[in-house]
Amino acid sequence: MTGDLSYVGKPIARADGVDKVTGAAQYTHDLCLTGMLHTALVLSPHASARIVSIDIEHAKLLPGVRAVLTGKGLCYQLGLYMQDKCILARDVVRYQGEAVVAIAADTLDIAKAACQLVTIKYAELPSVLDPRKALNDDAHLVHPNLHTYDHMQGVFFPTPHSNVAHHQKIRKGDFNRAMEKADAQLTASFYNPPVQHAPMETHASIAQALPGKRVEIWTSSQSPYTVRHLMSTCFELPHANIRVHVPYVGGGFGGKAGLGLEPLAYVLSREAGGRPVKIVATREQEFNTLPSRQGLHSTIEIGTTSAGKITAFKATYVWDAGAYADYGVNIGRAAAYAGAGPYSIDNCWIDSLVVYTNKVFGTAYRGFGHLEVLWGVERAMDLMARKLGMDPVAFREGNLLKEGDTTITGEPFTKGHGNPHQCLQSVADAIGWGTPSDPPAEASKVRGKGVAALHKAPAMPTYTSCAAVIKMDEDGAADILISGVDYGQGTYTVLRQIAAEELRIPIEKTHITWECDTAFSPYDWQTVASRFAYMGGNAVIEAAADCLNQLRAVAGQALDASPEDLVCENEMVFPKGEPDRGIPYPRLTMGYTFENGNSIGGPVIGHGRFIATGLTHLDPETGQGLPAQYWTYGAHGVEIEVDLQTGEIEILNIVSALDAGKVLNPKLCIGQVVGGVIQGLGSALWEEFVFDENGRFLNAGFVDYKIPTAKDIPRHTQQILLENPQPGGPYGARGIAEHPMISVPSAIGNALYDALGIDFTTLPLNYERILTRIREKAERS
Amino acid sequence: MLANFEYQRIRSMEEGCRLLAEAKGSGAVLAGGTDLLVEIRNGLKSPTLLVDCKSLDSLKAFHVDDSGSSIGAAVALNRLIENRSFQTRYPALAKAMASIGTYQLRNRATLAGNICNASPAADSAPMLLVLDATVDIVGIGGPRAVPVRDFFTSVKKTVLKPDEIVAGVRLPERTDLRTAFRKQQRIRGHDLAVVNVAGAYSPSAKWLRLAIGSCAPTPVLLDTIEVDSKDTGAFSQHVLKIVRSSVSPISDVRASAEYRRAVLPVLVERILHELLSAEGGV
Amino acid sequence: MHEIQFTVNGQRERARVPAGMTLLELLRDRLALTGTKEGCGIGECGACTVLLDGNPVASCLILAVEVDGHRIETIEGESGGGELSVLQQAFIEAGAIQCGFCTPGMIMSARGLLSRTPNPSDEEIVEAIAGNLCRCTGYEAIVEAIGIARDRLLEGGAR
Repeated sequence: MTGDLSYVGKPIARADGVDKVTGAAQYTHDLCLTGMLHTALVLSPHASARIVSIDIEHAKLLPGVRAVLTGKGLCYQLGLYMQDKCILARDVVRYQGEAVVAIAADTLDIAKAACQLVTIKYAELPSVLDPRKALNDDAHLVHPNLHTYDHMQGVFFPTPHSNVAHHQKIRKGDFNRAMEKADAQLTASFYNPPVQHAPMETHASIAQALPGKRVEIWTSSQSPYTVRHLMSTCFELPHANIRVHVPYVGGGFGGKAGLGLEPLAYVLSREAGGRPVKIVATREQEFNTLPSRQGLHSTIEIGTTSAGKITAFKATYVWDAGAYADYGVNIGRAAAYAGAGPYSIDNCWIDSLVVYTNKVFGTAYRGFGHLEVLWGVERAMDLMARKLGMDPVAFREGNLLKEGDTTITGEPFTKGHGNPHQCLQSVADAIGWGTPSDPPAEASKVRGKGVAALHKAPAMPTYTSCAAVIKMDEDGAADILISGVDYGQGTYTVLRQIAAEELRIPIEKTHITWECDTAFSPYDWQTVASRFAYMGGNAVIEAAADCLNQLRAVAGQALDASPEDLVCENEMVFPKGEPDRGIPYPRLTMGYTFENGNSIGGPVIGHGRFIATGLTHLDPETGQGLPAQYWTYGAHGVEIEVDLQTGEIEILNIVSALDAGKVLNPKLCIGQVVGGVIQGLGSALWEEFVFDENGRFLNAGFVDYKIPTAKDIPRHTQQILLENPQPGGPYGARGIAEHPMISVPSAIGNALYDALGIDFTTLPLNYERILTRIREKAERS
Repeated sequence: MLANFEYQRIRSMEEGCRLLAEAKGSGAVLAGGTDLLVEIRNGLKSPTLLVDCKSLDSLKAFHVDDSGSSIGAAVALNRLIENRSFQTRYPALAKAMASIGTYQLRNRATLAGNICNASPAADSAPMLLVLDATVDIVGIGGPRAVPVRDFFTSVKKTVLKPDEIVAGVRLPERTDLRTAFRKQQRIRGHDLAVVNVAGAYSPSAKWLRLAIGSCAPTPVLLDTIEVDSKDTGAFSQHVLKIVRSSVSPISDVRASAEYRRAVLPVLVERILHELLSAEGGV
Repeated sequence: MHEIQFTVNGQRERARVPAGMTLLELLRDRLALTGTKEGCGIGECGACTVLLDGNPVASCLILAVEVDGHRIETIEGESGGGELSVLQQAFIEAGAIQCGFCTPGMIMSARGLLSRTPNPSDEEIVEAIAGNLCRCTGYEAIVEAIGIARDRLLEGGAR
């Protein structure tokens, strides 16, 4: 797009701001339907056990109880990629916290009281808590019937009679040979614990079983159409029979993608004679029962020339998927094809194993495996640089992808990919790389600097698509119908900016209704993967063009001119160079009426769509293929200060660069970056699930699962947004939603080496771990 | 609803004690509610009766004076923290109280509540111990005063009898005492203490008191230590030796015993430095 | 059951409540004031922050019976029934809102701060909102918004 833009690229304020600052915004938590029932759950106390018996008779008798369900009788298998999950535990429980009994009652208090009346007998089974142990031949099998489960064929490969839900392979070149010939070699291992998204609004869903095998759902979700689709396949109902509404959503971060509490709410409603049923997760259940981000054990081997060119890269990624691996398998896949970092590597060997354990299951989480993988990769890059006696920035510079290189799946790197070198250089310059930090004020403190690179492409099926409809109003305004979800990232505002720009109308005359409704909003795959602005933007552009074609077609007849000779500008259609002959939109959007009364045209409704183009499956043996619609590159540079006596770490400065292609809305974009960096800081310094030796969750709540508060933000942050355009992106834009979080822990880990001379390989880098290593080092010397 | 219980606003302490006595141990006093209501919600406590002491004006009063201060049991922490007079006379105690919970919680939480909850990590306890505070208690048998050093008996347990209500906390006459407080957290945002330490030093009488929290079943007041050495290094070592032998930290979900043992001397040394250096502390 | 009388956003209310009902439940379930949110139920997240006699409090840890005779302000009263307040306007302008779930609690904490400290430093702003967790914004824009509101109010802005 050339020329001055009126709205795209401007810091337009979000439209939903007013609803949110006045308390008018309604989230699923807030919704109330006539006759609505409330739900309480009985959770498994054991990580692995057979359900011997469940006595629900007393619970059923409590006045006000309308439905009591157990897994028996709910013989459904759910999953988008791997159908390994049931609605309520059936025969066995696979993690402590798994829902075993669900009770819907007139009030939440009655439902909770009824849960107290349920008696369950369990026979504990062996369990497996470490995914590495789960790979042993004699390990307890979390899913003995894995070989019978439906899964996405040709994409995911479970190993029968094992705990391996998926094994993704990348085999490019000849790693073994290249490693043998390498001048320098490195092996290192790393660990990421499971963590939780911790959205401020916990999971909440309402479902109503309607007559005629219809279902209506209101849910705090990132993907209304996926909810509809999975409900359809699971319950064998036509898609059109299932209506999904998504009101305002209080944060998702991936945890609300796919299917969550909806099936359970539905079966409870069915059992309760069609009363609507609401399930709201308590904060404890949000941690203990609802999905997490998988843990990851990584082992990385790198071989280089003496000049620092990486010639060989090998990684083994063992994902701790928890008890169910539906999203986990896709994360294992995506992280593999991104699993060598944004580098040019001719010989690459990656095994990414998604492994079941008896813990709460993982799902999509902002970054989709990339933060976890790049913790290891970007730390390993620093370790390798050090081994070679090279500066870490220079070492990366010599290996970052550039035009002419291919990625590890064989994708050619082009100018349109963006500029990872510029990202890295920008942050290095901004933190004064190469210049030591100013000395700290206190003698007990030391400072250090670190950098890390990042990349990610949307991890999505090859057929992912988005559709948009624009209805024009009597006054020439445009209503955009789309079912991607704006759960805070601001995409609806961006889409309005694009619509206003394309339709040549003021932005005040563009609208998106906040609630998605699958009855009216057209299909969108899911709002994940940093793809909504890209695909939704393109769909809106096409829909707007369709509207303009319709306007020109009718105006052409009215003006007796050829539509190709007509221009749309300032809410008017006119022949080129003759604006005073123009017809204003309001006289066209509902059809045009001649002076004698004859009417032509009709309501102007444009539609547009975008489907992922050119993507291929990955070869099951080599991982070669084209999985990425676009890559977004970036880097972080960080300066830290550590208290040698307490292990306290503070971020003095963090500079983040992303090649956004085109910044569609700087205010919203910066908001995404700052928010993602702070969320990344949580993963870096504080967040981890703590289990006891029996697999019981110990820190399910904000008292002992710490997320950053306003007092924990870095002293200074800076965001650098580069604009090397993405071909095919709306106005050249790429997605940036997940990227700010990725590699934040890596940069901090690298800075800790600079400050302390200590290599950290396990997250989180909390004060206790830091002090423990400082003291160990002091004792050794 | 949190749970089924009865609620009674009391018109006098006697009424409160009588109701608690009648409840035979299944009653509880409601002041700020920031500990009690959480425990009720989580099923850790199931009182059948809550006695609200905030209805008594005498418990909402506090009096700060050089001749001694009294803090009613129903005074919200923020009212003390934000009181200029209190801040000036008890800056370290104000600092300790300001580290409890969040601003919102401190608009309800009380000093009495903090000590009655009797967490080993109670942030007000170490300071109250070194200040030699007294807890004023009223029961059906009448009033009694218990030095705070005798108040805690075990994890979350105090000397309070089921019919007793804390009326307030008294601080003795102000002297030249210099005080300091340090707390180790896991994060800069609100957190329980991994370790907390309070110190008080009398320059005129040349003694030092230290109290340590989160390293034993109750907050621990060390025996008073004479400050006679000019050699600050040796004195420091002497103090740390006493500290080490006075505590028994455990590992829990928040921190390991090793980390607590490692950080405790650091906090103690920082307090010693603040209290004993010429310009340090007040 | 207890009969209670209280005011909410300047409006007198009466209710008959069980002892175990929280202020949060009273506001959301009885008075349909759903702007105040539940984020954790134990006072750790600040999403349920309202003003009680002008003081920010966690309404999930206050019993409805305790507010008999007291004055409550919630997010619904912030705009005084008319224009957006200076604070609300500043939040929008500064980009201090993303998913919006923490926003009502944040604004209530900020309102409490500006009422008691008309000219807070950035550090005081951070202390005032430290008990309000936000997972989306990273807090910087929120601190900026409150600073903007402070400046405008000092200049003589209305609410």
